[in-house]
Amino acid sequence: MLHRISPQTLRILALFAVLVAVILFFSTQVPNYLNGRLFNRISSSVAIMALIATAQTLVILTRNIDLSIGSVVGFVAFATGSLITGHPDLAPLVLVCYSIMLGAVFGIINGLLVAFARVPAIIATLGTMALFRSALVEYSDAKSITASNLPDWLVSFPNIVLLQIGQLQLRAAFVTALIVVIAVHFALTRLRPARKLYAIGSNPEAAQMAGINVRMTVFAAFVMAGALAGLAGFMFLARFGTITVVAGLGFELKSVAAAVVGGVNIFGGSGTVIGALIGAILVDLIDTSLVRWQLVSEFWREAVLGALILIAVATDTIMMRRLTALRQAREHRKAVSEFIATKQKRAGS
Amino acid sequence: MTDPILRLDNVTKRFGATVALSDMSIALFAGEVHAIVGENGAGKSTMIKIMTGVHQPTDGRILVDGIPRKILGPQSAREAGIAAVYQEPMVFPDLDVAENIFISSVNEGIMLRRSVLNRKAQALIDRIGMTLASDRIASGLTLAEQQAVEIARALAQDVRVLIMDEPTASLSAHEAERLRQIALRLAREGVAVVYISHRLEEIFEIADRVTVIRDGTHISTRPILETTSDGMIAEMVGREVGNYFAKAPTTATADALLEVDGLTLAGTFEDISFSVMKGEILCMAGLVGARRTDVALALFGINPATSGTIRFKGELVSFRSAREAIDAGIAYVSEDRRKFGLAMPMSIRANISLATLDDFLTPMGLLERENEREVADYFRQQLNIRTPDVERPVGMLSGGNQQKVMLSKWLNMTPELLIFDEPTRGIDIGAKAEVHDLIRSFAARGGAALVISSDLPEVLAMGDRILVMREGRQMGILTSENADQEKIMTLATGQQAHAEEMT
Amino acid sequence: MTIVSRLRSWEGFLLGALVAIIAVNASLSPEFLTVANQINLFQLSIEKIIVALMMTLIIVNAEIDLSVGSMMGLSACAFGWLFQQGIPAGAAMAICLGVGVAGGAVNGYFITRVGLPSLVVTLATLIGFRGLARVLVEDRGITDFPEWFDRLGQAGLIGPLPFALLAFAVLFVCLWIILQLSGFGRKTYVIGTNREVAEYAGIDTARHKMTLFIASGAISAFAGLLYAARVGAVRGDVALGFELDIITIVLLGGVSIFGGTGTMIGTLLAILIVLNLRNGMALLNITGHIQTGVIGILLIASVIAPRFNLALFPARSPGPSGQIKD
Repeated sequence: MLHRISPQTLRILALFAVLVAVILFFSTQVPNYLNGRLFNRISSSVAIMALIATAQTLVILTRNIDLSIGSVVGFVAFATGSLITGHPDLAPLVLVCYSIMLGAVFGIINGLLVAFARVPAIIATLGTMALFRSALVEYSDAKSITASNLPDWLVSFPNIVLLQIGQLQLRAAFVTALIVVIAVHFALTRLRPARKLYAIGSNPEAAQMAGINVRMTVFAAFVMAGALAGLAGFMFLARFGTITVVAGLGFELKSVAAAVVGGVNIFGGSGTVIGALIGAILVDLIDTSLVRWQLVSEFWREAVLGALILIAVATDTIMMRRLTALRQAREHRKAVSEFIATKQKRAGS
Repeated sequence: MTDPILRLDNVTKRFGATVALSDMSIALFAGEVHAIVGENGAGKSTMIKIMTGVHQPTDGRILVDGIPRKILGPQSAREAGIAAVYQEPMVFPDLDVAENIFISSVNEGIMLRRSVLNRKAQALIDRIGMTLASDRIASGLTLAEQQAVEIARALAQDVRVLIMDEPTASLSAHEAERLRQIALRLAREGVAVVYISHRLEEIFEIADRVTVIRDGTHISTRPILETTSDGMIAEMVGREVGNYFAKAPTTATADALLEVDGLTLAGTFEDISFSVMKGEILCMAGLVGARRTDVALALFGINPATSGTIRFKGELVSFRSAREAIDAGIAYVSEDRRKFGLAMPMSIRANISLATLDDFLTPMGLLERENEREVADYFRQQLNIRTPDVERPVGMLSGGNQQKVMLSKWLNMTPELLIFDEPTRGIDIGAKAEVHDLIRSFAARGGAALVISSDLPEVLAMGDRILVMREGRQMGILTSENADQEKIMTLATGQQAHAEEMT
Repeated sequence: MTIVSRLRSWEGFLLGALVAIIAVNASLSPEFLTVANQINLFQLSIEKIIVALMMTLIIVNAEIDLSVGSMMGLSACAFGWLFQQGIPAGAAMAICLGVGVAGGAVNGYFITRVGLPSLVVTLATLIGFRGLARVLVEDRGITDFPEWFDRLGQAGLIGPLPFALLAFAVLFVCLWIILQLSGFGRKTYVIGTNREVAEYAGIDTARHKMTLFIASGAISAFAGLLYAARVGAVRGDVALGFELDIITIVLLGGVSIFGGTGTMIGTLLAILIVLNLRNGMALLNITGHIQTGVIGILLIASVIAPRFNLALFPARSPGPSGQIKD
């Protein structure tokens, strides 16, 4: 029966199980753990990471990686804050569009390098990570954005409660991120142009031969990732208000971690953004819970995160191997028995 | 007489100073299976690449339905109705069969409607004559099934000229038969099938016309009834040849080098027992999936058996790694030189010393390059490897020469037992004969050779004895006197009980 | 290979670039060519370039170790923590090297025994080792190391040459011999070109990789100690982000990210180029962040440029017409 469920669905179910297990575990260790505030806190902080994890997933699916995502988030957050500080009457929609467009511009640079100049993604984005960060330093001119200079609507946007169910509050930031993730998931599973991302990651040569415009598709993946990072930059600004030149540092690693934990294959070709979302939630949950766990110093967060990634990927790999071996053995037996049957039929007639 | 669907008119292709195709003309008609034969390096793959738009002709022109046309790339070829299926299928392992088939279809719309796609995919697969569920993930498919997916993909794009390049090279006899039926079926539907194969029996079975090419030029095109096997071979190599696969006298002694008893690897193979004498060539025959390579890898230490005994030179051994097997005197020449046999970008010299690297080190662990060079040069001469020097990257050599470099690597360790896995797959007739001679002279010098081969004429010609396997089980050992293709196939398909009933 | 073909290789190109940069720097400032400045030039990044030497072998082997910066930090923080617990500095240093070995073994285990990609494993340990460093040091800083320790890091040992610089020179010679002249080096290249081919030729690739990652861990730990000695203080963010620079240097030096090509000389030239470039930019009052940005552009340019003019710039990776690095 197990082979009827696709590996991806299996992975998401497993993640859910782990999520529940972690929640149950911490509920025994931390007083007043299971309440609405936990949900609200997690949903607020995961909104940004969810967007970045989605962006990273798009790129990883094509067998590439985007290490510049943190720098993009930082730059866009700063530039957006700078814009609104100088023009406080700017309409919200315009500002959001600005963030997204700016992010997309960075994505275009990455896309040109990887898809057209054929620089391996890890090298290209290693370079643009440094480049964009230094551009931020230049642009900021040693100043920083402060929350007090930002319009009220911006600062309060993330926390606007759109829906309240008992103690659970569905806040604007989380809902935005959720909508985006669901939209991207829908596109990746239902839109044929988006399926090309999977094809390219699954077998780049075959994709080329099948007439898929690999360059344009990979380029598009980076541009979309940049746009999503830009949106994340906007949310970052809204959430934190104060932006310095180190904004977004380390985000690229966290986004890869969330994606990988969420079942996205680092070699491309398979994975879902839903999985990446759950991966981001899991990472954030453990992070937040550790702070509240009296037994263990909060400084263990990173160490635990590192171990978590190893365990997730190791389990993934081992399970995949077992499933593949089982499947191959079954197919082999079926093929040979089919053959014997036809031979017997032929001999008998 | 209608126009040919595709025609090459005096096409020449130059790569710098090299002329790959010279004045090549060929006409492909609807509803016909047109075979193309030629040695490796004769220009077949260049011709295919020109037909599929990967290369552009330097001279000459291509006509589609009688109209001159430029085929600028895979897209352009597809629009002209030209598609190719290769020995190694190009599928997307993470996608399912239906998506694989329709991946580049332009008239399926933006939305992915799985049920519609599945239905259409299933129809195409049925049309080909395969049993395959269209929601299977491609990574779980066998090679033959993946090929079928590729063919279905071509059909989905209304293919008019289907080029099949060595499609049966890696298939079992049954799967190969099925593929040949598919080719015939497609031809009957009006597709122009171009069938490239080294297996002359296949060509006699399904081709309507045969074109022989040699050194980039067109030698002949004849209806199949006007050709003979010997005639084709003569045209391919440019000289009259006797029977390449004549049986040579045996050099087997009574001294057993390897004795295998009840060898079992749980889940893979079971109860394998045989022995190989010094000076003997034991061939292992069977269909793809018989697990012969697994037995070889167990002997070689890479995937050791779980039970049973192996005696080598009279002593009980149990190798846990390739290193141990090599140190004991066993060499394994793998069937896939690109994946397991040679480091393509590295020099011939570096490749030849690879299995015995420790022999080329000073006590401090530094490389002795001069020694390496001498040894490599020695093998270059001995095995007639066509290269100006041993510093060239192996990847630049032709298939037959690469095979020789791989062989040199193993001969360099002076093995006592040499296991060859498909030693002549994918190399031309001339080189095949050279490899056969090498194996025979190795045996003549007292070595023991275990040759895994799916090429029945080769098995019959080489083997002093023939061990037949099926599905991980040993079906029997034939001596060269009482072996023939029928008997081997009977054992290989497990039908010996039935065959006995019939006689 | 003849002298001419050597000069036309990627290394020859780097040499040319280096000469050009040094010439420009010398013209910018009369102090540039003094011994003091040259030593300083190295010292500022000495720990990074030591690790870059080892990283060369790792990347040639078609692997990557993203955890080197975090291991440097962990080793430095462990030293500080041990010292604070009263353990004598000498013993603490030995323990820290042991930590490096252990960390490398963790990487090696997941890569060779469990079979996970090194990108993912070392990404996890990059986060994990940094986390352990923070557990030890929390958000404090530890200073007050014994005088001999500080002096080791800052003052000259043989003449004006500090210990770290001498260690770099020795390590370069050793690793150069190992990579280019030894059987271990040949195996490194082959495994990086095609791991299966190496396996089937009887090479124990798992042990080889384990050795490389343990060495990488140990050398990173050693570099972390050097950093603590030179800076005289230890915090949780020691060597944060160093892996970027280190990998950039190695790739700039001609090592392909896919493995199988590159040389130690190439890495050395790249080191010299990056150090002199940074020095020159500092002379022009260009800030550190901008410098990093320039290095980023350099990295990308070094991959793109060869594609445009094959006559002027040689091919980087081995193709049918490429260099053979054996």
